[in-house]
Amino acid sequence: MNANDTVAAVRDSLTTAKDSLAGLHMNTPLDAIARNGRARRRWHRLAGLTGAMAVMAGTALAASALAPSGHPASQSGHPVSHPRTAQLAAWTVAKQANGDIKVTIRQLSDPSGLQSTLRADGVPASVTFLAQHDPSCRPYPMTQGVFKSIYQAQNAAGSGTTVLIIHPTALPSGAGVQIGAAVGQQAGDRGLQQVDGNQTIHRPVHRVAARARSASIRVGLVYASQQCTGS
Amino acid sequence: MEFAEFYESTRDDCLRIVLLNVGDRHLAHDLVAEAYTRAWMSWRKVRELEVPRAWVVRTALNTHVSWWRRRRHEVVLGNHDAAMPAEQATGVSGDLLAALRRLPARQREVVTLRLLLDLDTETTARVLGIAPGTVGAHLHKAVATLRAAIPPHDGQEISK
Repeated sequence: MNANDTVAAVRDSLTTAKDSLAGLHMNTPLDAIARNGRARRRWHRLAGLTGAMAVMAGTALAASALAPSGHPASQSGHPVSHPRTAQLAAWTVAKQANGDIKVTIRQLSDPSGLQSTLRADGVPASVTFLAQHDPSCRPYPMTQGVFKSIYQAQNAAGSGTTVLIIHPTALPSGAGVQIGAAVGQQAGDRGLQQVDGNQTIHRPVHRVAARARSASIRVGLVYASQQCTGS
Repeated sequence: MEFAEFYESTRDDCLRIVLLNVGDRHLAHDLVAEAYTRAWMSWRKVRELEVPRAWVVRTALNTHVSWWRRRRHEVVLGNHDAAMPAEQATGVSGDLLAALRRLPARQREVVTLRLLLDLDTETTARVLGIAPGTVGAHLHKAVATLRAAIPPHDGQEISK
């Protein structure tokens, strides 16, 4: 067999493999691609604006003036419209026009405030951040596909910010969202993740309160109940 | 060409090619979606490229290298939803696809562009920014490796 025959044989085998995937389709709608692209552009613009602000005014001074206790800059149902304030809050919840809930987490503070804001926006939620896992919450069984339909996550590298886009209508009946966190070495402890059940773990470096420590945002589904998720 | 037209006409083929390279449907889907998102963001530049779909495939495969590390995204599933290997769906020898995934990155890029996207040597060289002769050398080495992974036909003639 000469070189051309060898190339042809490999080409045939690979083409056969590709052709046999004819039933496989890229099912992400064009709208979703464009939506993600627009969100990423907005994020880049906000990040640039924040950097410029930090240089001009000083991050510490601005933070103390605009976000004194880590309270949300934007309450339920009011999308962020003031980038300066939004960037300096510990977290932000913004309800999108399509019903999605955008959660931006910058600091792990005021979990109860985030929890009640999410519940007010119609998301059964349990938020603990660094506190002990709520024993009344039981992990809800799910698959990766279900996970992906419920929310998307974006971590801006190096910024210590996690953005979750939650689709409340995709939540299975009887399920709620649990948001927690782990610090230091625990962030990479696979055993801990398995004990806690089905979760997606995001690992940017978050500031924990005012201290710079490594932490991971953990998102999972739990059975909804009055004690766990308020519903 | 508008992005919508490009997306509709190329997305399935790109997904299948990336799946053959990474072997995991969910991951391939994520990588291709990410690549198209970047293409959407840079469409004015991407649309002017000689082969925009090659850009998408290359971006998806390059993203694969740093995807988990950069986004720090980890899914813990237990045994609920084990990824379906591509070879289960293709009916093609798993050895061949495993050999494809083990190729050095540049060889795999050349195989992907030349044999899966069916580009000629000169176009492949321009897309990768290397000399045509280098494309030939990478292809020669890669094909030799892959050929060894293709099982003989069951009905092949046996010489006595």
